[in-house]
Amino acid sequence: MSDTRRMLAEMVDPLFAELGPDATEAKDLSRLEQLGLPLLLVPEDEGGFGGDWIDALTVFRLAGYHALGIDIPALAVERADGGQCEQTMAFARTCQIAGALDAALALSVAYANERQQFGRPLGKFQAVQQSLAGFACEAAAANCAAMGAAQALDRGDAGFEIAAAKLRANRAVEVGTTVAHQVHGAIGFTQEYALHHLTRRLWQWRSEYGNDAYWSRRLGEHVIEDGADAFWPNLTARTDP
Amino acid sequence: MQTFVTEAVDWPDTAPALRERVRALVAEHGERDQVRRANSWTKPDPQFSRKLGKAGLLGMTWPKEYGGHERSQLERYVAIEELLAAGAPVGAHWIADRQSGPLLLRLGNEELKRRWVPAIARGEAFACIGLSEPGSGSDLASVRTAARRDGDGWVLDGQKVWTTGAHVSHFMIALVRTEAGSERQKGLSQLVVPMDTPGVTVKPIVDLTGAHEFNEVFFDQVRLPGSALLGTEGEGWKQATAELSLERSGPERYLSSMVLFLELVRHASVHRNPELDMLVGRLAAEAWTLRLMSASVAAKLARGEDPALEATMVKDLGNSYEQAIPQLVQAAVDFGSPDNEVLRAVCFYLLQVSPSFSLRGGTREIVKGIIARGLGLR
Repeated sequence: MSDTRRMLAEMVDPLFAELGPDATEAKDLSRLEQLGLPLLLVPEDEGGFGGDWIDALTVFRLAGYHALGIDIPALAVERADGGQCEQTMAFARTCQIAGALDAALALSVAYANERQQFGRPLGKFQAVQQSLAGFACEAAAANCAAMGAAQALDRGDAGFEIAAAKLRANRAVEVGTTVAHQVHGAIGFTQEYALHHLTRRLWQWRSEYGNDAYWSRRLGEHVIEDGADAFWPNLTARTDP
Repeated sequence: MQTFVTEAVDWPDTAPALRERVRALVAEHGERDQVRRANSWTKPDPQFSRKLGKAGLLGMTWPKEYGGHERSQLERYVAIEELLAAGAPVGAHWIADRQSGPLLLRLGNEELKRRWVPAIARGEAFACIGLSEPGSGSDLASVRTAARRDGDGWVLDGQKVWTTGAHVSHFMIALVRTEAGSERQKGLSQLVVPMDTPGVTVKPIVDLTGAHEFNEVFFDQVRLPGSALLGTEGEGWKQATAELSLERSGPERYLSSMVLFLELVRHASVHRNPELDMLVGRLAAEAWTLRLMSASVAAKLARGEDPALEATMVKDLGNSYEQAIPQLVQAAVDFGSPDNEVLRAVCFYLLQVSPSFSLRGGTREIVKGIIARGLGLR
């Protein structure tokens, strides 16, 4: 990670953590404006922050991680595009899903290590370990997909990557939310406990800007039209210099 | 928490040219049969391996002094993902090029390095790995095959099993007990055993498809020189498990069923229907994601980091993916129709061999246990 990106993350992380799910535009937008976040994607010479798409990933992912109550990706994309471009918002939701899955995983691991049953922490039971390991893999896939899409956006044409990334992140929501709630037991089902801020958003984001059926069909049609023999050469050409 | 630290992979400038070279070579000398293209890294073809050796595509990252080509780790990654995606028969040299060569270069004495490494790079020496034993599968630390000191040398007795490619290999790197009475991870060492040494017997084990890929290997009073010791006596466990990082995250962990995916795309372009479109889309998205994950681990390995947790996650996801493809294809395609012959043949072959995908290189349960420990559970 570059130094400016690390600085961005170090500024944004504690602020989003503090504001959290209860943040509202009326009450807290000025705090985000102080850091220039709504102008994240506006070029520097137009008075914006001049962030690239990996900067966007960093900020959007943290918004997901802390279940931020303000839809900062929508604000940033609107300022940059003048409208909410479907593809860009699909990318934004992918990043938020990646962050929220990591946060739900962290909560679940901490809970499994703390909660004792049968005289030992839940995390000592192999069945629980194996479930959480599967969850970690899904969270990892969503994060890598978000990064792949961000890189493609920085290169230019990212239609294929955004479709693939949103679809992959959508699919990760299923395992992630299921395991998070299962490991937490009844407490995770309460309003008092923080898990629902993440899982309810994850279910919402999976549907927004293209559900699984939508993106898998578009991606499938694209791959089939290019033909079997073009699949691998196209895939590698998209990342090669 | 971010368990998989993502990064932008810096693909080498030489990648496009390298891909063209590999594709041309595979087009000329590769495997034509679609079924044999599936799971191609277990298909030995010594002639093809020698061709790759001549083309400078083996031992790519190794020092020139030992027959290598001093290319970067990511250049090697480009070459091997091309070979696997094309279903090239790379089984003969796969283990030697992937892990035995690097292990010898890192820990081997000069005699071992001179004897084996240049021959691996020429595609003339192949290796197998001696880990599992009849009583020692997932519980690897229970190995009982033992070597005792005899003058300057060693005498080896015992048995290995499920040894892939032992029948085409020139040497084995075996994990054995070198300290009598030692237990578990202690007292283990790695020995390099030439397969033509008197007292080494290889017996085939035929798999459920009728193929002969793995073997039993017996050691009866096998005399080895002192130089057969690889690395440090008693450090075998650490050496052998470090080696596993190299083999968990490569493109072979998600590409074993790629040929079936491509046949599915071919089929779906003739028999258009929305369900097949969606299946193709879903499998394409997964392939794209796994490629990034695998390459990202390769980039970390290239910088000398040990991304053990990330590597293990790639293996788990990748194996599940290559196992799911034949099941999903069977569920979606009507094999009663006569124009589906190739798709059907590849699918049925993979249905039969794919159970091994989440066994080889560490079972799914062991792999998930390693991930859980990496998460801070236990």
